[in-house]
Amino acid sequence: MRILLLLTVLTLSWAGAAQARYYDDVIASGVIHIGAYKDFPPYSFEKEGIPVGVDIEIGHRIAEAFGVKMEVHWITPDESLEDDLRNNVWKGHYLDKDENDPLAAKHLADVMMRVPYDREYAFKRDDQGLLINDQVVLFGPYQRERWQVAFDSEKLDRVGTVAVFQYHPIGVEIDSLPDFYLTSAFGGRMRKNTHHYFSNSEAFAAMQAGEVDAVMGMRAEVDWQIGQAGNPRYKLAENGFPTMGKQQWDIGMAVSQRYRQLGNEVDVVVERLIRSGEIEKIYARYNLRYELPGLYQDVAQ
Amino acid sequence: MKKFSGSFAVSALVAAMSLSGVSQANVTDKDILQDQSTVEDVVSNGLGPRGQRYSPLDKINTNTVKDMRPVWSFSFGGEKQRGQESQPMVKDGVMYVTASYSRVFAVDTKTGDELWEYNARLPDGIMPCCDVINRGVALYDDLVIFGTLDAKLVALDAKTGKVKWKKTVADYKEGYSITAAPMIVNGKVITGVSGGEFGIVGKAEAYDAKTGKILWSRPTVEGHMGYIWKDGKKIENGISGGKPGQTWPGDLWKSGGAATWLGGTYDPDTNSVFIGTGNPAPWNSHMRPGDNLFSSSRLAIDPDTGKIKWHFQTTPHDGWDYDGVNELIAFDYKDGGKTVKAAATADRNGFMYVLNRTNGDFIRGFPFIDEINWAKGLDKNGRPIYNDEMRPGNPSASEDGKKGSSVHAVPAFLGGKNWMPMAYSQDTGLFYVPSNEWGMDIWNEPTAYKKGAAYLGAGFTIKPLSEDHIGVLRAMDPKTGKEVWRYQNFSPLWGGVLATAGNLVFIGTPEGYLKGFDAKTGEVKYQFNTGSGIVGSPITWEQDGEQFISVVSGWGGAVPLWGGEVAKRIKHLNQGGSIWTFKLPKS
Repeated sequence: MRILLLLTVLTLSWAGAAQARYYDDVIASGVIHIGAYKDFPPYSFEKEGIPVGVDIEIGHRIAEAFGVKMEVHWITPDESLEDDLRNNVWKGHYLDKDENDPLAAKHLADVMMRVPYDREYAFKRDDQGLLINDQVVLFGPYQRERWQVAFDSEKLDRVGTVAVFQYHPIGVEIDSLPDFYLTSAFGGRMRKNTHHYFSNSEAFAAMQAGEVDAVMGMRAEVDWQIGQAGNPRYKLAENGFPTMGKQQWDIGMAVSQRYRQLGNEVDVVVERLIRSGEIEKIYARYNLRYELPGLYQDVAQ
Repeated sequence: MKKFSGSFAVSALVAAMSLSGVSQANVTDKDILQDQSTVEDVVSNGLGPRGQRYSPLDKINTNTVKDMRPVWSFSFGGEKQRGQESQPMVKDGVMYVTASYSRVFAVDTKTGDELWEYNARLPDGIMPCCDVINRGVALYDDLVIFGTLDAKLVALDAKTGKVKWKKTVADYKEGYSITAAPMIVNGKVITGVSGGEFGIVGKAEAYDAKTGKILWSRPTVEGHMGYIWKDGKKIENGISGGKPGQTWPGDLWKSGGAATWLGGTYDPDTNSVFIGTGNPAPWNSHMRPGDNLFSSSRLAIDPDTGKIKWHFQTTPHDGWDYDGVNELIAFDYKDGGKTVKAAATADRNGFMYVLNRTNGDFIRGFPFIDEINWAKGLDKNGRPIYNDEMRPGNPSASEDGKKGSSVHAVPAFLGGKNWMPMAYSQDTGLFYVPSNEWGMDIWNEPTAYKKGAAYLGAGFTIKPLSEDHIGVLRAMDPKTGKEVWRYQNFSPLWGGVLATAGNLVFIGTPEGYLKGFDAKTGEVKYQFNTGSGIVGSPITWEQDGEQFISVVSGWGGAVPLWGGEVAKRIKHLNQGGSIWTFKLPKS
């Protein structure tokens, strides 16, 4: 037993840089690992080899406030948020192994960005009554997200309701909520006109190529595409999404439950950024509308 | 990552040449076609191209098996211990076996000494859809050929383990992977692909086994163009199913799923490759009204051209994830003096089907598990008579943000039988089917997120149907649909079966036992605990007049990935990774 314990301690001190860590260890090391999704504009992506996007900018601000350097831990998304939290925040991926150093710790993010902040999700239980997400702390909401349609004004005058997609083709990201909505709502009447793409940017490119007349995705993604296109021909729709389940949700962050204190310190920094209007400015720089998360909207009222 | 080159390769070569003075001959098409009757080697997945997993060896039999004992065990080593689903191959005193994480080992069959080892270098950040298991190699000429988690075919030199050729079958970044053993048909290596819910399209492909040059490609979803290569030129070879949009709405055929993740079998009689296809995408059936061809089907493909000769769809409009990938095994039986060229398969959906293998016609079908509730039965063409109440819910019913209504469907999506291959005994005329009795509660889960976005997940829990067992090894009569005997196992069965002329049937259990049964009565004649759960398929061969049996041990695969009630039955099982080899003591 003693040998085992000793080994564990050794491993922890060795590879301290790789795994998620205590607040004090982050400060002492001079580096914080910010987890962000790969190739996911406008939230986190690379431009000429440099990490950019609103989540990256916020990560920089956190690092600055701590007086440390930021390093990006790029996340390849798995099938669900549970998978991403397990692979990147508290356990690590099962393929993250070093043949030459089998005791090396897994690569984890100290803080993961763009994690939905939803009490119902955080306290979800399995059929045995156990908390599903008990290994992580979900905290620090910093943005409210919604669904949005953009359309080609040379094909459609306006999108007053989603009923127009009974007659006009629309592009969505495959296996997303807009995909579920457009292929199943209203008895599937929009199904035939729903075209599937691997990403929102591919769907938007298909609209520019004349393949579809509209796209549906997350508001920030759609705002970003409109800004990138820089062509008044592509416009934002004002329709609602009747019968659609989750139309808005808040985005926050996650840390491993062992490093709750780190989460608290990050929370303080991000709250200051929100209240000072700094985050809104970051969004504006990417041509994105910014909406306060529910927590701050309620306080304001 | 470990590399075996330079001095390693030389010592491996010396070791290979020095073993028991056996000369190494290359594997030919004839060797593969006759594999079932040539007992001194195992050069095909399934002990013969038809995949019957039957051996005419009988030295180890119901009388002698009690004396059988292990002669060596070989550890795969390392930290990489997740699910060993491989079937070893044996040729000229060398065993070729794969292990999890795309590894291949060559081992001396007499001593258990390692001759060489190959570790595929996997790309950084790879997210394989379907666990990290591998089901085995193909042997051809002087090559050992296998598929990797990043969807490549790799051919190794059988003597040294060095790469002779490597081909990308599909792009792992789009969600493709390979876990099945490739098969060899007349000099061609034929493989399928695995894939998750990212909008992949299944396909079967043939490559020249010696050079790795592609020969044909056949998509398994209606509407996609197939191709054939002639003199290095890619030529259109007909759209699968004729044209798009017949059994799919909108553009969903473009991302229709139907992954060919378990590979196939080959019937020399009709010159057909039988390959099964997975569930259609998207997962929720309400989004894609129609039969969704060729998902959840068995296809008979011409190995020379890649054309689909016929198909049989076991679960049209699949809404339960009842992949139709399970092996279709060719066999003949007598019906009033007339020989019937049949083939049988035991589907994930709980029904066993006997088909006419010359044209795919349905002969008969019957349940091989005690309870099925998603269908009331099969009609005269073998099409299921749905029980509509048991179809998982329409997403639009959950669009108010509430949890959809829960359905208790039997069997669970892991199936009445999953990937683990059954065996057919030519002596008893029975199929030995490794099955599981479990159901699932399934509902639409609106409290779900994916990549920073709200999502509609599928919530489910798998539940055993009985206190004392999930797994059932059954002896099934394909002529009557009657169960002749059964063995019940506490945890789910997840390994393949072997039948022998010694009136024995072998299977490994997650509890770690290699078990031997009387093929006629089901009486347990032998058991030995290998120290970790068995999810691989046993083989047998003869060397220097002695009969050997080998099986890979190492708990894992899909079962431990799911929680709920089933997790309680298996959580005490330990991981591992080793080969065990048995024989009778010398008299």
